[in-house]
Amino acid sequence: MKSLTLIAVLLLFTYIVPVTAQQPALDIERIQRATVFVMQVRNVEDNLFITCVSSGTLVSRDGLILTNAHSTQQSADCPGTELIIALNVRSGESPIAQYRAEIAQIDPGLDLALLRITREPDGRLVNRENLALPFVELADSSATRIDETITIVGYPGIADDPVTAVQGTITGFALEPRSTNSASWIKTSAVISGTMSGGGAYNTQGQLVGIPTTAPLRQGILNTNCIPIQDTNRDGIVTASDDCIAIGGFINALRPSNLARPLVRAASLGLDVEVMSLPTTTSSGNTPTISRLFFSPSVNEAGMPTTVISNLPSGSTSLYLFFDYANMSPETVYELRVTTDGRPNATFSLAPVRWSGGSSGLWYIGSSGQPWPNGVYEFTLFANGVAAPTQRLTIGGPPQITATMSDIVFGLLNLRGEPLGNGFVLPSGNTASAQFLYRNMSNGTNWTAIWYLDGNEVSRTPDVWSEGETGSASTSIQDPNGLRPGSYRLELYVENGLAATSDFTLAGAQQGVRPQIFSNARFTTAATPAEAAQSGAISTFSDSIPQLYALFDWQQIAPGTLWTLRWLVDGDVFYEQVSPWTMPESGQNFTAILSSPNRLPDGTYNVQMLVNNLLLASIEAKVGIGQLPIDRFARADGVLLRGQILDSNTRQGIPGVAFILISEDFSVSDFDWNQSKVYALAVTDQNGFFELERPLEYSTDDREIAYSAVIAADGYQPISADGIEVTTETENPLELIIYLSRD
Amino acid sequence: MTFIELGSGSPDLSYRQRASHVIALAFAVFALVIGYNLRNTGLFSTTRYENVEAGIRAEYPRNWLFDNQGDYVFRVRNMTRVGFKTTIQVELRPVGAAGSTRSILDAISLERFQSLAAYQVINVDASTPLADDIESVTMAYTYADTDRDPFLQSIPTVVRGVDILAVRGGQVVIITFLADATTFESDYAFFERFLSGLEFR
Repeated sequence: MKSLTLIAVLLLFTYIVPVTAQQPALDIERIQRATVFVMQVRNVEDNLFITCVSSGTLVSRDGLILTNAHSTQQSADCPGTELIIALNVRSGESPIAQYRAEIAQIDPGLDLALLRITREPDGRLVNRENLALPFVELADSSATRIDETITIVGYPGIADDPVTAVQGTITGFALEPRSTNSASWIKTSAVISGTMSGGGAYNTQGQLVGIPTTAPLRQGILNTNCIPIQDTNRDGIVTASDDCIAIGGFINALRPSNLARPLVRAASLGLDVEVMSLPTTTSSGNTPTISRLFFSPSVNEAGMPTTVISNLPSGSTSLYLFFDYANMSPETVYELRVTTDGRPNATFSLAPVRWSGGSSGLWYIGSSGQPWPNGVYEFTLFANGVAAPTQRLTIGGPPQITATMSDIVFGLLNLRGEPLGNGFVLPSGNTASAQFLYRNMSNGTNWTAIWYLDGNEVSRTPDVWSEGETGSASTSIQDPNGLRPGSYRLELYVENGLAATSDFTLAGAQQGVRPQIFSNARFTTAATPAEAAQSGAISTFSDSIPQLYALFDWQQIAPGTLWTLRWLVDGDVFYEQVSPWTMPESGQNFTAILSSPNRLPDGTYNVQMLVNNLLLASIEAKVGIGQLPIDRFARADGVLLRGQILDSNTRQGIPGVAFILISEDFSVSDFDWNQSKVYALAVTDQNGFFELERPLEYSTDDREIAYSAVIAADGYQPISADGIEVTTETENPLELIIYLSRD
Repeated sequence: MTFIELGSGSPDLSYRQRASHVIALAFAVFALVIGYNLRNTGLFSTTRYENVEAGIRAEYPRNWLFDNQGDYVFRVRNMTRVGFKTTIQVELRPVGAAGSTRSILDAISLERFQSLAAYQVINVDASTPLADDIESVTMAYTYADTDRDPFLQSIPTVVRGVDILAVRGGQVVIITFLADATTFESDYAFFERFLSGLEFR
């Protein structure tokens, strides 16, 4: 091919000397293009009626969308059965419906869902491999800090509202159980409307740090309105008697992106875990209740309070509100309202959100590393709008000298009377002991240890203190016939006031000082679960397989005991389910099946079993080469290259012209018209506009990236260029005007 | 009555003049032949492709974009064509012992009904010969092609396509030709040349 120097306009973005590597600036246009409008619709006699709306964010080029579960999953509030995705096609305009989608992964409790674009609006299948949609990358949300600036992007309404960006700061974090490495909620000062729920919050590098999340909007509550927009009853006019769409409300909480990572990982790999015996979470129908509220200044590794307090000294930075809950479900809406000296305190309150803790148990919501100003705080929890008794706490003044019990750990006693073991999961036996620390005690003080099993009191030991002022002490529960497996609780009272409390699980057989609950864990592959139970353990699968079975035996674990099943691939969690044990106390061949619509991707797979956050068993297997394939489209950042190709004589756009960007490893002279050497490809539309399907990677000192380009069209002189580089200083998106001359 | 006689008198030409006319005409014809050959050489020059595993050897038009990263053995597209990129593709699919070309055609059509807009089969013909007298079936069809980029404004293009199916052992070879309906006839020569150079081993 005749190679000509690319015209000057094209050379404008060629930087010969790369600059030092630096973070790219927030690319708001790319983020807005990756923000979609999600419409849940109901099909009535081939007419589609919108039932719920929300925002969502593309997290992969092939059409995975991260959004909220409540507005996409069929429910009483959102009765639709189909999902329509509208894209922000042109900046400043309302979104345009482009695709249909299905739910690929969902966690109703976390209120997160991954949607997968599957069809065109007319029902034709979409070839996802051909999709090249703008998307964003997830940030490590645990790295966010208070006062960090964030930008929230979403659709604020259902009318002609285009995608909107709102700036704010991070004002705090809310911690809950089962998110030990990350906050459960990020609080923000930004004013976010309810329909932006499911959108995205971005750090200054343009990475997704959180998902604005609120409880489902309902007419008449949460400052919502309900707007009828379609003639759903077909009476010829749109009135209040038609079905309406709830909008409004306000959001002050973001689900951290780290909590969405397992869902994204599973959806992107097409992985699906089926557990043969896990119950589906359904509402019991009983009224959700919240009780036994108390405060603790810290939490141990098992998620238990270290002590119980009623006040905190000035300068405290950590506080947790514990409570018992029952009859809860993912559909339950819970809310925390905090007042300081009688005034609402938005920083420590949590706007209504869905419940993520399962049916019943002990829960907390707290914050750490965040200053608590002095004042009298009142905490009120709501479940489905019903308030639990308010709990009060005073912060301020010097540390008070009061009798304290703390840091309960459980175990089997050694010869010196010290508890051994992992502290919160004990093997079955005749005796369970608890060791705790005490301070400022006085001999002669009345104290009581009360033990519970599955919520029922089984032992009460009133006593008079005789151990001195400071030290450690222990108390035990015994049963000559053996303690029954189950969930135990110890409450320590000093003069009728709760001083310390903790839960532990008793399960499994004694193996040294540790319990053996899960045994004979193994991977295998088979055609059916029954066949898998008869198959031997396999740790290496040389060929890709459609299904992977994980099996294990178990012993002495009481029904109702909370346990965790976790799957990982190459060290990344893609499935984690905390649920009550539903099988008999002992048995064999508990089965979980990992499958994929195609074949399982190569990788190293792990299954872990945990109780009370303690890892009790783990198995590993390699599939194929034992490593996930490299996703060459994983990077979302870079410079979007787009522009217009014009006829140099007529100045009119030329439709159907190919713009070929050659990979960095090849020059124009190396290019032999092989797709493997093409980095990105675009074809002009009816007006001559084009945009490349992949962003150009930044050239840095460490890695110089120079692309080449070829533009050729029948009847025109071809043009080509080498050495095309972009840096973080390059304008983004990069707009080109290219003129072609006739032959 | 007046008669007007129209006519052209041919002046007497010398032998040299006649000879020079003949030579000039001969050169003109020769130049046309050379030009036509040069054009064909440029237009129909080919690149050789061989896939031992699939047992296929072919010659595809030079400077068409070669791609073997999809669900096909290979595909070539004329990227310089303005508008829809004229495409030739070779694909292999397994076929059962009881499978017939008719059932394969139906399966292909069902897939396309799901993925292509306004897809419609024009005719099915059993007369297309392939190299080595391999029996084959031809299916002609049309559909509307739209650009997948939702951020651009593209008008659908009517595409005409031809599939040639030939069963070889446990596989069916599907050779596909796609072109803009307005340029289908002129581009079909590329496909004919491709078919003439296609070899199965």
